[in-house]
Amino acid sequence: MYNSFPLQKLNSLFFIIFLSFIVFPLQANTAQPQDSIIFSDRTFNAEELTRGERLFFGLAYPDGQDINCAACHNTRVSDTLNWNPDALEISKKYLDKSASDLNKILLKPVGKKLIQVHKGFQLTPEDVMLLKAYMDKMVVIGLKQDKPVITNLLLFIIASVLFLFSTIDLIISKILKRCWVNYLILFFTGIFIVNTLVGNAIAIGRSQGYSPDQPVKFSHMVHAGQNATDCIYCHSTAQYSKSAGIPPENVCMNCHLMVRNGTRSGTMEIAKVVSAYDNKQPMEWVKVHNLPDHVFFSHAQHVGAGGLSCLECHGNVKEMNVIEQVSDLSMGWCINCHINKKVKVESNTFYTQYAELTSKIKNAEIDSVTVSMVGGRDCMKCHY
Amino acid sequence: MGKDRKTPAEIKDLATYDNDHLVEKQNDSLSELLESDFLDQSTSRRDFLKVFGFSLASAALLSSCKRPIQNAIPYVIQPPEITPGKSLYYATSFYDGHEYSGILVKTRDGRPIKIEGNILSPFNREGTTARVQASVLSLYDDARLKLPEFNQLPVEWDIIDKQIISELERINLSGGEIVLLTSSIISPSTIKLINEFGQGFKNFKWVQYDAVSYSAIIEANSICFGKAAIPDYHFENAGLVVSINADFLGTWVSPIHFIPGYTSRRKLDNGEKDMLRHVHYESGMSLTGSNADVRKKIKPSEEKILLIDLYNKVAGKLGSETYPGILYREDLTELADNLIATKGKSIVVSGTNNVDIQIIVNGINYLLGNYTDCIDLNNNIKIASGIDSEIENMVEDLNSGKVKALLMYNVNPIYDYPDSQRFLAGLKKAELSVNMSVTLNETFGTGKYECPVHHYLESWDDAEVIPGQLSLVQPCISPLFNTRSFQDSLLKWSGNINMYHDYLKDNWEKNYFKYSDISVFRDFWNISLGNGIFSYPVSGNKLFPFKKEELPRVMNSSEKAESGTFEVIITESVALGTGMHANNPWLMELPDPVSKHCWENIASISINDAGKEGIQSGDLIKLADALILPALLQPGQAEGTISVSLGYGHTKSGPVCTDKGVNLYTFIPTKNGNRFYGFVADRLENTLEKRELALTQVHYSMEGRPIVRETVYSEYKKNPASGNELHKEFESTHKSLYPDVKFDGFHWGLSIDLNSCIGCNACVIACQAENNIPVVGKEEVIKRRIMHWIKIDRYYSDTPDDPKVYFQPLTCQHCDNAPCENVCPVSATNHSNEGLNQMIYNRCIGTKYCINNCPYKVRRFNWYRYTNNKAFDFNAVSDLGKMVLNPDVTVRERGVVEKCSFCVQRIQEKKLLAKLENRVLEDNEIKTACMQACPSGAIIFGNLNDKNSKVSRLFDDQRCYNLLEELHTLPSTGYLTKVRNDGKTDS
Repeated sequence: MYNSFPLQKLNSLFFIIFLSFIVFPLQANTAQPQDSIIFSDRTFNAEELTRGERLFFGLAYPDGQDINCAACHNTRVSDTLNWNPDALEISKKYLDKSASDLNKILLKPVGKKLIQVHKGFQLTPEDVMLLKAYMDKMVVIGLKQDKPVITNLLLFIIASVLFLFSTIDLIISKILKRCWVNYLILFFTGIFIVNTLVGNAIAIGRSQGYSPDQPVKFSHMVHAGQNATDCIYCHSTAQYSKSAGIPPENVCMNCHLMVRNGTRSGTMEIAKVVSAYDNKQPMEWVKVHNLPDHVFFSHAQHVGAGGLSCLECHGNVKEMNVIEQVSDLSMGWCINCHINKKVKVESNTFYTQYAELTSKIKNAEIDSVTVSMVGGRDCMKCHY
Repeated sequence: MGKDRKTPAEIKDLATYDNDHLVEKQNDSLSELLESDFLDQSTSRRDFLKVFGFSLASAALLSSCKRPIQNAIPYVIQPPEITPGKSLYYATSFYDGHEYSGILVKTRDGRPIKIEGNILSPFNREGTTARVQASVLSLYDDARLKLPEFNQLPVEWDIIDKQIISELERINLSGGEIVLLTSSIISPSTIKLINEFGQGFKNFKWVQYDAVSYSAIIEANSICFGKAAIPDYHFENAGLVVSINADFLGTWVSPIHFIPGYTSRRKLDNGEKDMLRHVHYESGMSLTGSNADVRKKIKPSEEKILLIDLYNKVAGKLGSETYPGILYREDLTELADNLIATKGKSIVVSGTNNVDIQIIVNGINYLLGNYTDCIDLNNNIKIASGIDSEIENMVEDLNSGKVKALLMYNVNPIYDYPDSQRFLAGLKKAELSVNMSVTLNETFGTGKYECPVHHYLESWDDAEVIPGQLSLVQPCISPLFNTRSFQDSLLKWSGNINMYHDYLKDNWEKNYFKYSDISVFRDFWNISLGNGIFSYPVSGNKLFPFKKEELPRVMNSSEKAESGTFEVIITESVALGTGMHANNPWLMELPDPVSKHCWENIASISINDAGKEGIQSGDLIKLADALILPALLQPGQAEGTISVSLGYGHTKSGPVCTDKGVNLYTFIPTKNGNRFYGFVADRLENTLEKRELALTQVHYSMEGRPIVRETVYSEYKKNPASGNELHKEFESTHKSLYPDVKFDGFHWGLSIDLNSCIGCNACVIACQAENNIPVVGKEEVIKRRIMHWIKIDRYYSDTPDDPKVYFQPLTCQHCDNAPCENVCPVSATNHSNEGLNQMIYNRCIGTKYCINNCPYKVRRFNWYRYTNNKAFDFNAVSDLGKMVLNPDVTVRERGVVEKCSFCVQRIQEKKLLAKLENRVLEDNEIKTACMQACPSGAIIFGNLNDKNSKVSRLFDDQRCYNLLEELHTLPSTGYLTKVRNDGKTDS
């Protein structure tokens, strides 16, 4: 018993910690749907709201028509890019407008893309009213969050239980006659538990693969890839400032003063930028590459002085619709590069001040100078 | 760019926003949740487990796995001059009515975060004082006045303007007197504006009032030379300085202007063979006195006798008329001889606010012919222009009801006018009273109208501190609060529709543009703004003949010595000055250079007197009613005197300074028409209570060790290495088991000239501002937990009666054989390949082994989290106060060790700049914060690997030594021996 006790305690701790990983997303969707929505002119009851919802999901057409708003306008939070605005966005847009405005856009659409997709809708004014009611409700309840997958947790719990069982069985109960089975269970579940824990512990504070939703469906693939805009055009300070710079809206407007219609996104996304610019509202982008506060990183050092390509750290941005953190931005990752990367000793006069290195190169003792040879592994290069 | 950096508009909202609110709300919802699920219902075991699991899980989640979403918010339209992540410097000027400096303001993403001296400014060069350095924090002071008020209720500017204009009109029609009471004003455009404003009224008076008065000098010069002014003193031309109670390096007139001149004649590092000699008479131990070659103790009552005797001795030897009278208790023949030997190259100054004394001083200087080279009456310093009698008359008129309207700007008479009750009574009689002030102070709320003005970093203005030396004040941030500049208010009230910015430009175009050789005014204006300064020639240097008429009366009048046991001297504090910036936590925690106390004022008493009275340091002594102060035994204090400093004892000036110490202004008497900074205490009473003093240094002696090495000038001339013989000896005996350290490229080093360092503390605040050093508060200072990365150690030698004083700036020495590095169990401190002793906060686990093993005791431990911690609510709790933080330096957490980094962020910045510009790094390009702030140029930083760099040459100087070099720690910091001028001529 004495031997097993600490393990038990540990396991319960593991359980709690792991539960915490899972519980968090569940907390997000706590707002209760309201039973009725009050309009200025009339109130919709729960039944009507359900009808509106069914209309939205294309389930309410007796004549076999297949108009499904939800097919294009997501009602769930999605991690894949959908060029169409999601249900919440359009609902918000029409919150302050009347049902007849909605009627117009559904039945008499304007704009290339809209005419194409909103073709041949047959909706009665009553239907539109109900749709509008559901959309207003959508503003309140928000998008649905997918339930997190709990396979890993389940496996972890099963492994922990098995581990616990085997331990107790080995020491106290001795149910299994063949004790090597217990050892086997202990061995494999132990490996699994340690592996999961270590993996998750290392991942704390790192966010490789992080690609959050942005307020505008801005695609680097379209801008940097297909239109071949140079990174520096928008991130203009990367060569001489610590920060690469998120372009101010006036830079967006250089092109979007004219370009108002995206091939795939239609007008909705570009209109967001334009209206923000017109209303002098800054865009609240979600920062993707976050370094801890105690790390000093300068783009000028790497892009300007070092001449690195943006792609080396940020990955092939030209193929990303939603920007994603490709490197793990861990210290090991930084240091590895500092060990291998060569500095421009020949072309930059600055390095002539390293007398010893310069003479070594001259005497062909070394053929190149890496970053770490000029202090690239010093702590105070990044931490101060 | 991050969301945590607020725009000024957001800050405005936040200024009134209470953070507690949010926290409480969160707590409420949590407790509600727990209560509803857990307490109210009959709890089943299952429910219990559910809630228990859930709450534990969320606790674990909140504490460990929280990853907040960070936003990046770009500009809508980015101003072309702003680059996110890069600093922008604006040239402007600091003048608070008491002190002037031409400065550069470093702004980052729109926030001013650091002040540097403007190298183009002829007045102060690159030097700044601690108060100027700290002024950037005053911008983000929560105690700043945020909106206009009428009878303590917020109102709109329009309404206030309408009411004030109509009241002024009414008073003007009835012929009532309208008085504008301001601090000294040196802005020519503002003076012009005030005069124009005054012309609109039948009975207008403008009174300038200084908290600390220089009235006597101005009056004496008016009597003697017909020019009411404080002359400029050129210490750089002087061979001998005799100062009586004038703390010209610490507080008197304009230390920042005098220090460069004074120290330029004390430096010996360029093989100079000439050195200024400084004789000082004073009662308390001042900063200037502790730098003097000869310091003699004197009671305030003896000063006039000394000066009369000195005048007679000098006059007698020069064959001029003498006025025989009482002789001073010491023979002054030698001093008189020395003065005559340096005739025309000497300066005699007195800091006493007494016209008679100043007339005698003028007489001595005139006899010695010092008015040609050393004392300049033509280009006078305009720093103070208040005349004591004017304010007295004004208060008289207020009380008699003659003054109907009182407009106050940048003054705090309820705090610093000696008879503040009388002032307040008079103020209440005025029909219209308007207070225009930057921050909350004692005068706030006493008038009818509060019209808060901009901080100087938000305003337009100009300044002319010396005739011909113009400088501009420009805003470096848009106003944070609903304030308006004083000048804009005057313009509004005089019916002028212009903004002051346009008025200022107009004035420059009309009056100064003609002196420039630029053809377009726009260019002239932009260049002047860029430089921050503009100098124009002032017509003709006049010779001022000395009018002797007053001299016989002055020399023969004798004052009766007041009876009493102790003469109390009231001095300005080096850290706080007049006390105007007392709510600045950096300044409150800045120790006095000599006594090393902070957070309150103390009574310095001589050791002999203390022995007689049975007083120990920390005893609360009573000098008068309502004047109970802790005593501090001060070596060098004249017997029978007690020194106390001004600036403390605020009652209503913001949370930092309120109820810290005693306000001494109320004890200042008026003598012969001038405010006299001292009084005679009838008795000295030991209250037998004790208080722990917040001292930052508690040892006085070097315990016989060669920590500060010194020599005298005559020895130095024979052998430059004199006093530093040990250096050679240690160098020859050094042996080490470790391999030799060698650095390729850069090896950073710092040289400190102990002969130039006067101990002014400017570097301490510069370092604090640059490196986000927290303020820890009085209690923690008492526990010796002050966080300053650079401290100025003060040592005494010789006898406590007549000590020699030494100042030694101490930072991390960046030893190449660093004892701290070997003992760190996690390698959180180690050596860089540029010779820096690195400190990595995120690796530190707080064992403090390094602190124990550091022989210099320069490492600091974060005993608490000082940011966002209500227990340390100084400037790092509110969102406003945190705007001053330097984004290039990590804010340290609780439990880690920190120390001087040689300003590695500046090293990295300049190295990167050189790389980007494809060039080598120049010598002196990198300046550490302490070096840049130092007004005397005592600190030099550079590359020791470059044999031609200034720091290398100083390291090769024969005066150079390392601290505790017998330990063979190989510090990268070198000290140059202190040389005192013994006045002996070559033998």
